[in-house]
Amino acid sequence: MAASKTVGDALRSNGVSRRGFMKFCAATASMMALPPSMVSAVAAAIEKARRPSVIWLPFQECTGCTESLTRSHAPTVESLIFDSISLDYHHTLQAAAGQRAEDAMEAAMEENYGSYLLLVDGSVPTGDYEAYSCTNGHTHLSMLQKAAAGAAAIVSVGTCAAYGGIPKANPNPTQAAAIQDLVKDKPIINVPGCPPIPTVITGVLAHYLTFGTIPELDAYGRPMAFFGQNIHDRCYRRPFYERGLFAETFDDEGAKKGYCLYKLGCKGPITYNACATLKWNEGTSWPVQSGHGCLGCSEPDFWDKGSFYRPLSAAYWGDAKTVGISAAAGAAAALAASALARGKQKKAQQEEKA
Amino acid sequence: MSATTTVDYGTLGERAAAGLKPKGLSDEQKVERAKEAMIAGMTADMATYLESCIHCGMCAEACHFYISTHEAKYTPIYKLEPLKKVYRRELAPTRWLNRLTTRDITVTDLENWKEFAYDSCTQCGRCSLLCPMGIHIQSMIQVVRNGIAAAGMAPAELQAVADEQKDKGSILGAGPDKLREVVEKVKAKGIDVPLDKDKADVMVLSSALDFLKDEEVLAATARIMNKIGANWTIKSDGFESANFGALAGDRQAQRRISKRIIDAAASAGAKKVIVAECGHAYPVLRWEAATMYGKELPFEFLSVAEYLGQEVKAGRLKLKKVNGGDSHVTFHDPCKIGRLGGTFDEPRDVLKAMGVKLTEMESHGRTNLCCGGGGGVLMLKSAKRLREAAFELKREEVERTGAPTVVTACNTCMQNLQIGKEWLNWDKDVVNLVNLVSDNLA
Amino acid sequence: MNEGLYWEGMSLLDFARGPAFRWAVIIFVIGIVWRLGALLLSSRKDLSSPKGSTTGGGVKTLLTRSAPPHELEKNIVFQHYTGYAWHIGMFVILLFGTPHMLFFADILGFTWPTLPTPFITFFTVVTMGILLTLLVRRMMNPVLRKISTMDDYFSWLVAFLPFLTGFLAFAHITFGIRYETMLALHILSVCLLLVWFPFGKLMHALVIWPSRYKVGAAFARKGVQA
Repeated sequence: MAASKTVGDALRSNGVSRRGFMKFCAATASMMALPPSMVSAVAAAIEKARRPSVIWLPFQECTGCTESLTRSHAPTVESLIFDSISLDYHHTLQAAAGQRAEDAMEAAMEENYGSYLLLVDGSVPTGDYEAYSCTNGHTHLSMLQKAAAGAAAIVSVGTCAAYGGIPKANPNPTQAAAIQDLVKDKPIINVPGCPPIPTVITGVLAHYLTFGTIPELDAYGRPMAFFGQNIHDRCYRRPFYERGLFAETFDDEGAKKGYCLYKLGCKGPITYNACATLKWNEGTSWPVQSGHGCLGCSEPDFWDKGSFYRPLSAAYWGDAKTVGISAAAGAAAALAASALARGKQKKAQQEEKA
Repeated sequence: MSATTTVDYGTLGERAAAGLKPKGLSDEQKVERAKEAMIAGMTADMATYLESCIHCGMCAEACHFYISTHEAKYTPIYKLEPLKKVYRRELAPTRWLNRLTTRDITVTDLENWKEFAYDSCTQCGRCSLLCPMGIHIQSMIQVVRNGIAAAGMAPAELQAVADEQKDKGSILGAGPDKLREVVEKVKAKGIDVPLDKDKADVMVLSSALDFLKDEEVLAATARIMNKIGANWTIKSDGFESANFGALAGDRQAQRRISKRIIDAAASAGAKKVIVAECGHAYPVLRWEAATMYGKELPFEFLSVAEYLGQEVKAGRLKLKKVNGGDSHVTFHDPCKIGRLGGTFDEPRDVLKAMGVKLTEMESHGRTNLCCGGGGGVLMLKSAKRLREAAFELKREEVERTGAPTVVTACNTCMQNLQIGKEWLNWDKDVVNLVNLVSDNLA
Repeated sequence: MNEGLYWEGMSLLDFARGPAFRWAVIIFVIGIVWRLGALLLSSRKDLSSPKGSTTGGGVKTLLTRSAPPHELEKNIVFQHYTGYAWHIGMFVILLFGTPHMLFFADILGFTWPTLPTPFITFFTVVTMGILLTLLVRRMMNPVLRKISTMDDYFSWLVAFLPFLTGFLAFAHITFGIRYETMLALHILSVCLLLVWFPFGKLMHALVIWPSRYKVGAAFARKGVQA
């Protein structure tokens, strides 16, 4: 698909009414915390935006991010935006396959060199294990380096691409790395989550389309608009936390009454994402609402922080064996110190008698 | 090696005048000896106590010297500083770390601590009852004294008498000869005193501190013993209750002095040894003599008050009512007999048998306030101001009872109260138990 | 947790909850057992005959020393009971604060009911107020000034910081610092307390028991209730 049509053209040709389009722009603007006066600017920008070329490279991933993004029961404006972006390469979604698909990608990259958006999901194996994830005989590391060279910006979709995710979890058998650890010379937007919320992607893209810039990012490279507050602060069960009402097990009275899930390991207090406000499946629900604690899946190394069911306050104090050995070491020191001290005392007492 | 074996002391007067600085001991040697003595005196109990202090300062509020002067330096735990430092640096399990944070003691410390280990501490033990951590401060003051004495720096008054008592067996010149003299005086009054019996069930002790004044107390004691009908004696080679070695902190002297009593009692085959009304004498003999001697003893030490109380209760001592039943007193528990001796009921049994009305002071029994004179403090000129301040506390307490008479059972308390009485022209009578009983034998 | 104690990109919170805490516990245990060796110093056997049961007296004093006779402590009641107040506050927070209970439950294997957050917040604020009052007292009272050492002030700080950081974290009053940083600081302040505990006066929490027992036994031996 050529990148000559504007986004506005594409939407119109797909039957999106002006009203529907403005509604979307208003929602997008408010999601990005822009004042109402900006809505028309957003609309104008998106309308006139030239459909940027988008290359989507899936690496060491489970395809969950794509599934999340594309799962919809009815065509939504989000999915249409996607369609109206010139998605020049996407394994799962594209019809073409094999060498043809590869050639198409090469062509798109060449044609839009320096201006295409590179979307990546999955981590990248490195070092001795570089070949553990390949497409068409090319290692993903080499593909990343090639594709990154001509990209305007990179969006790391999902925690695996953003921070290494599950492949990177101990013992990291493939020496998997995050995109930001491998590409240092291009702007990178991390959109973590396992998977991320669909609306977040479109919000990021909408921002890029509107302003041509990267949205404001936090210290972990995540858009502040969606990852700026933590789950705990926006969780609807927060009053129960404050009142000290907790579910003790997954099916007790407290769980049935929708009490706080802190005791069951909820990592809400240290997780930054939009799940509590935007929710999933077009606002249907999210993990806590369904009765399971937040896993913290948008945070780096969430898989390595211990059990999902261990409360946040239960620090890793060691184990009985370590304590036992320490006590034995202390006892040895005590006995040695006492023996020497007693010797000193005896000597002094003998001198006294003299 | 202890301080007394290597140096030449000269005469008593020379020693006192020189403030007892043994010739040839450098400052380093003094500190060394002090440390040795303190290391030798430490026990696991003391180590536990010294590890426990949280610097809460509550002990100050139990100490009569602090309460009466409000000078922070008299805080009881502060009196133990040199011992704490030596413990932390030399014996504590974490001593290698402690040495980084705890300074070593200096000869100046020892000099400064004379005031705290001697002048401002009667070793009364009240602080040991209050400390929330359970620190037995009183038990450790003696070790500080041991340290200072080993360095040859004990107060001259106490060390001089300790030396005399250790070497010659006399106190202030009053030895066996003086005893014989006083015994004759008592006999002249018609009171029998079985001096130097070969064997006896009860060996009675006296004190030069008593009969240097007059023969009253010995006479009273003899009269009571005869009335009870006990098989008793007083031995000229072991009659002195007081132990100036203990007061000075000179362990060698203390041991030798106690041994004389033990030997005399053993040779007399005594079952009981009655310690005269003297403060420190009782705990030194009752609690420390056996351990110092190295063997369990075949006789028991009793204070006079204890003995009299037992005899009254057993019906062997009959008493008549004081003043026909019209007598109002308060009882001043001597610290060394009461809190540090366990004898509270016995003197009260005796008073009850004499029909007196007893009004207790607010702090009585085990919580009594010290008179301020014990532990050698009475002998120290430098402590006069402190004794006077402490006496004020006692005076107020006595006056609040409304009783015109204070009865006590310790020579030092007697003396201290008498001195206070004279100084303030106090209108209360101060009576010792032995005299009171002797005057009211039925 | 990750079997290797360290990994790349470990956040401050991960460090605090993980390796920092592990090592703090190790040093805590070694230090405590080591310092309790003080109880093993030699003792001279007491050969005098006792007037009362030492064991009975010792055990009794463990409790009675918490409430001395009034005439002994009438001048120091404020200090004594303020001291209790803040300790009680500390135990309430430590045992009945939900996150703490969960921490202990992980070690002990059982849980117990806890207090609602506002109670814990109240206790924390009051306890901190008392601690500050006692600090001011220590700095102004002549007796305390005479006997206080660096240990007293440092131990105060080490004891105070967990309350402060815990309060700020738990109530989410973090002055712009991220919550997880505050939580990490709280856990690190506890690590500091654990590491300092065996070497400063915080150890009194343990030595108070043998100490009270021994003074009780010593006085009971003489026939006196201590």
